[in-house]
Amino acid sequence: MGDGEGREKQEETKKIIHTYPLIRHSDMPEEMKQEAMELVVTACEKYSTNNEAAAKMIKDEMDKKFGPPFHVVVGEGFGFEISFECTNLLYMFSGGNLAIVVWKC
Amino acid sequence: MPPTAALKKVFNTKSLKKGRPSQSRVDEGDDLEEWKKSKQLLRPKDQLELTEPELKDIIARQLGTNDPLIPQNLIQFNHAQGAFELIPPTGPMIVVYETQGTQIHKESEEAKKQVEDQGLDPSILEITDSAETIKPDELQNIPEETPGDEETQEEESEKPEVDSEMTEEDTEKETEVGEGEGEGEGEGEGEGDIEGEGGRAEDEEEKHHHGGKPKKLTNQFNFCERAALTYNNPVRVQDTQTTPPPMGTFSANVLQWVIYDAYQEDYAAQQLEKELERERKEKEKAPVSRHQAMTRKLVGKAQLSEAVQGRVLECWKVLERMVNQNTFDDIAKDYRYWEDPSDEFRDEEGTLLPLWKFTYDKTRKNTVTDIEWNPHYYDLFAVCFGFLDFMKPLDEGAVCLFTLKNPSFPEYICMTDSAVMCVDTHPKYPYMVVIGLYDGSVNVYNVQATCKQPAFRSNNVTNKHRGIVWEVKWAPDLPDGEMNFYSVSEDGKINNWVLMQNDLAVTTIITLFLAKDEVFGPDGTKLKMKGCASCVKFHPKQPLIYLVGTEEGNIYKCSTAYSSMFLLTYPAHHMPVYRIDFNRYNSDIFISCSGDWRIKIWEDNRLEPLFVFDVGACVGDVKWAPYSSTVFAAVTNEGKVYVFDLNVNKYKPICVQAIVSKKRNKLTRITFNPIQPIIIVGDDKGCISTLKLSPNLRIPCKAPKKQQHLDQWTLQCMKLDKLLSLVREPATLDIPEDTAESIES
Repeated sequence: MGDGEGREKQEETKKIIHTYPLIRHSDMPEEMKQEAMELVVTACEKYSTNNEAAAKMIKDEMDKKFGPPFHVVVGEGFGFEISFECTNLLYMFSGGNLAIVVWKC
Repeated sequence: MPPTAALKKVFNTKSLKKGRPSQSRVDEGDDLEEWKKSKQLLRPKDQLELTEPELKDIIARQLGTNDPLIPQNLIQFNHAQGAFELIPPTGPMIVVYETQGTQIHKESEEAKKQVEDQGLDPSILEITDSAETIKPDELQNIPEETPGDEETQEEESEKPEVDSEMTEEDTEKETEVGEGEGEGEGEGEGEGDIEGEGGRAEDEEEKHHHGGKPKKLTNQFNFCERAALTYNNPVRVQDTQTTPPPMGTFSANVLQWVIYDAYQEDYAAQQLEKELERERKEKEKAPVSRHQAMTRKLVGKAQLSEAVQGRVLECWKVLERMVNQNTFDDIAKDYRYWEDPSDEFRDEEGTLLPLWKFTYDKTRKNTVTDIEWNPHYYDLFAVCFGFLDFMKPLDEGAVCLFTLKNPSFPEYICMTDSAVMCVDTHPKYPYMVVIGLYDGSVNVYNVQATCKQPAFRSNNVTNKHRGIVWEVKWAPDLPDGEMNFYSVSEDGKINNWVLMQNDLAVTTIITLFLAKDEVFGPDGTKLKMKGCASCVKFHPKQPLIYLVGTEEGNIYKCSTAYSSMFLLTYPAHHMPVYRIDFNRYNSDIFISCSGDWRIKIWEDNRLEPLFVFDVGACVGDVKWAPYSSTVFAAVTNEGKVYVFDLNVNKYKPICVQAIVSKKRNKLTRITFNPIQPIIIVGDDKGCISTLKLSPNLRIPCKAPKKQQHLDQWTLQCMKLDKLLSLVREPATLDIPEDTAESIES
């Protein structure tokens, strides 16, 4: 696994490393989406080594801005099946290796 | 217990025997006797044989209160004393049912107390006692009298319950009713000696209420049930329910390679988008493709179906052309291969071979007002359908693009709501067609995009000519790539139109004021007379210079640089100048035709014409041939086509041929095909005829033996120069002008 990743990384470096935030799925309104995306990027940059702290920060901010209860998952590898309140879901990649799910339920 | 059973049996038989004579059943007796007689009584073996006196002896039996079955001397262990002790015998009585009576004996203390409680005189007991048998109605009164009291009592007891269940209103009503009833009864009973008592009772009752005396006891005589049915309030659900907020489920797997792939995919999409954007920008630079961009915007099914339709349409088009080729096979062969062999024997004269005729059903009534070969496709030409007979105006017009490959139907049809008077196809973009209309407006069609509506349209109110637009002409593109064109109109103005992003920007470059004094208009105004432009031709080499023919007969040489003056005025004709054409080989030479039956050839800056030909009819159009510097052709109202070759004959046409019937049709326009040796002529019945020039009409120049290396172009120029040098000579010996004028074909 480690070897495989290393090779992949090498290939990636040969090509281009994409680190821009990439929204995979979202049904938020445009403004909310932008705000949430910026927040996620900020949080992931601030706590680049601590996903838990990043998730906490995102959750707290989202709760403050859009009202609780928000749930946030930040990680490099996981699977999920969630129920969410419509127009409150954001699933995005950031930094090239992180996936972030933010939803309200 | 066999002995008892036996004893019983004995007893039974005994009693039977004994009871038989004593039984006084008369009716049954006989039957029984008979039945007995017929049957032998079976006797048990051990039956005692008794004698008669023994049998008669009556054994008396007594029923005592002693029950032999009751156990005697029952004991119980008393744990307190630690010894057995006797339980008193239970006695013989067994209680099967027990109920408490509510009756009280009248004379008992209890009864007295009750009467007192009811507020009655205890003496009533004696009275009623004595009157019990005499007055039963009074007795009734006693229980009947009570309802009033009972009621109040009931009310008191009920009130708390009622309060909880009923609304206050209901309770009040109920009490009122109850009281009313009580009073009514009280009144009803008020007869005889009881009346006083009733009143007293009521008084006392009030006292009881206030005094708070002990409650009267109820029994079955003073208890009266007065059931009241109250409204059952419908049960209502008070809680509310809202629809839950819409929920959704979402699931995904996050893995590093998933993220990587997503980024790659997105990046590729971005690159593609950029590419498309760049392409779009490039295309948008040229306003020509404005419509293409718009069509691209059509998405999804529409686009797909359009594409499919387009492909199907293409197939149909090919098929149609094949059918046409078969139908007009001989004409096609003539067009390609037929060279009139008789030309060899006809000295210097040629003929025109009619080929296809082009018509379009919807424009049969229209006159062909202009025809023009496409600069890019040699088989494609644009035809304007309008009208020239202004006594019979037509509502509709059209511009059709025909191809020689399909003589049966136009390739493109642009219908307009006004007669089309002129057309021009852009030399660089052969799909951009500008037309001038009878109503003074100009339209630009992008036939590639759509023929249904013009890509550009001059504003019908503000941006238009105040007269028929007689000719339009594309100008070279502006430095920033914008297309523009000129239009000349009856209102004496020559406008320059620039195709902006969305509309046409117009500039009037010249107004053809006549060199006359102002005339007096209505109300003391003064008007400067304007010439009515009828045709325009741009100098092929000098883009600023152009010639304008007017209906007054003058030809003005103008420059787009000056908007107020003419460079030169040729007093060319006496009737409207219909067309001007520059020679292909020598741009100083131009030809004009007019309604005064004459065709004149001019040289730049020379006010006198070089040649004058009178053809005896109104000349609709004249054109120099593209293949020769000395050949030109003209059409007349009488339906004839004239072909001149100055090199062959300076006085007479080398070919005169009637194309259409002289009486019915007029020929209006003529054009040489730039490549093929054919001409097309349009008439006033919406029909375009194709004619092939016979070899004599297109003789190429033969290079002199000394100058074999010269090409055709130079030879043609030389030929024209040589001819002109003959004419130009001021001290000319042989060709006086009037001689030339008098020549008639």
